[in-house]
Amino acid sequence: MADFHGQLSLRAAARPEDGVTTLAAQSFRAPFHLSKSYWEPDTRTLLVQVVNPTAGILSGDRLESSVSVDPGAAVLLTTPSASRVFRMRTGEARSLQSFQVSAGAWLEVLPEPLVPHRGSVFHQRTVLDVAPGGAAFYADLLFPGRIAHGETWGWSRLVLELEVRHGAALALRERLDQSAEHLRSLAALSGAGDTACFGNAVFIAPDPSSAPVWRAELHALQRDGVWIGASPLHTEAGWSIKFVAPDSILLRRTLADIRRVLTKNAPHLGCDARKL
Amino acid sequence: MSVSPLDTAWLVGLLQAGDSFYPTGGYAHSFGLESLIDLKVVHDRATLSAFFRLSALPTLAHAELPLAAHAYAALDPSAPDWARTAELCTLAHALKSPRELRAATEKIGRQRAELAARLHAHPLGADYLARAAAGAWPHSAAVSAALEGRILGAPRDAVLAGICYSTLSATLAAAMKLLRIGQNAGQSVLTEALAQTPAIIAAAAEVPLDEIGWFNPWLDIASARHETADARMFIS
Repeated sequence: MADFHGQLSLRAAARPEDGVTTLAAQSFRAPFHLSKSYWEPDTRTLLVQVVNPTAGILSGDRLESSVSVDPGAAVLLTTPSASRVFRMRTGEARSLQSFQVSAGAWLEVLPEPLVPHRGSVFHQRTVLDVAPGGAAFYADLLFPGRIAHGETWGWSRLVLELEVRHGAALALRERLDQSAEHLRSLAALSGAGDTACFGNAVFIAPDPSSAPVWRAELHALQRDGVWIGASPLHTEAGWSIKFVAPDSILLRRTLADIRRVLTKNAPHLGCDARKL
Repeated sequence: MSVSPLDTAWLVGLLQAGDSFYPTGGYAHSFGLESLIDLKVVHDRATLSAFFRLSALPTLAHAELPLAAHAYAALDPSAPDWARTAELCTLAHALKSPRELRAATEKIGRQRAELAARLHAHPLGADYLARAAAGAWPHSAAVSAALEGRILGAPRDAVLAGICYSTLSATLAAAMKLLRIGQNAGQSVLTEALAQTPAIIAAAAEVPLDEIGWFNPWLDIASARHETADARMFIS
């Protein structure tokens, strides 16, 4: 089976004449592919969809992506479908994704969920680097497996690392490296059940002053088995928002609710990721 | 086996530092447990034992003990690596997304470093405090435990064992105030957890710097919600 060494490099910039965001530079190599980007005029956000035309992530895949957003530009980066990580009899797959947000820029990263299949081995490292004066929303969703097939908590190894830098300062470094069985046991202890799904978001807010209001609204979303908590990051650079739902539908609904609540503080979040 | 007077000097020092009488303020924190009890996750002996096994011990194994092991190496009194020490202090805070967990390690770490410098005539403590103040380093309970261990002349693994005991016993002390659980049941839970610590101490020293980190999503959520709780007994 071919090992992919996929690369994606994007730079978004605002046109000087009208401030419209365009892709000033782009290059990609399979399995990455870009759909035609779409300028959403109401929220003044460029919607960019990254497509993986292969079935999913396979053993030996090495994926590297780098996205930067220049001052005055605004981008919503999404994917059209879940990232399935397939069973690997040998080897592993790795993904390194890096996002840089300049002062005065906005970046939202909103991929569809990660679905690790039974026997998969996957390591994802994400670095989000936001300059002071820049703003961002990053959300990662993790399903416990192929829920509809009754196959959950079967991965062999899953490592998800997230590093957030604000200026020169390290604001957050998280590493999820639990075995499938361990995370299943934690879900059972917490009453989330066998189909628990996870959301991990970081919000670097354009205006921190309204945080007490929206935090109360976010915490009010804790119902129907959904757990949610928001807390300021180290250095007060932004917010960590974690949420867990008993199934995939509630997880998606919670993410939509989070974006709706935060839109008052960050209008770019009003951009509909499914518009393409 | 004979024990030299030098050995007993560091041993009694570690015992003193691990005692609840030692004023680091650990008694005021539940480290997120209060909120998990409020959310009905931990409610009896069995669920408390599961919390120790599934959350408290892995946090020690993958975060606090590796941090302390790296700090112990950096704080070699003959050649302290202050840049690495500063990096570890920052990392200790970046690893904790809930503010209350960072505040807990800040307060306990600061108090322990200041006590170590005040109580023991060793230049490492004063030097550490001066550099931390000048560099605005955040304080970390794990780094300060390593500092105090170095000042006392304690072996690394003994320092890590001390961290295990003080963390688990402080969490148990909070649980005893919040749950209907007896002294004997509490000690049974603690004994079960402590039995796991030799293995995680041995493994902790092997964790590379870039692989330090672990979190329990439910604990982080509970701790985040504790920040705005209407009523609470513990600071964290």
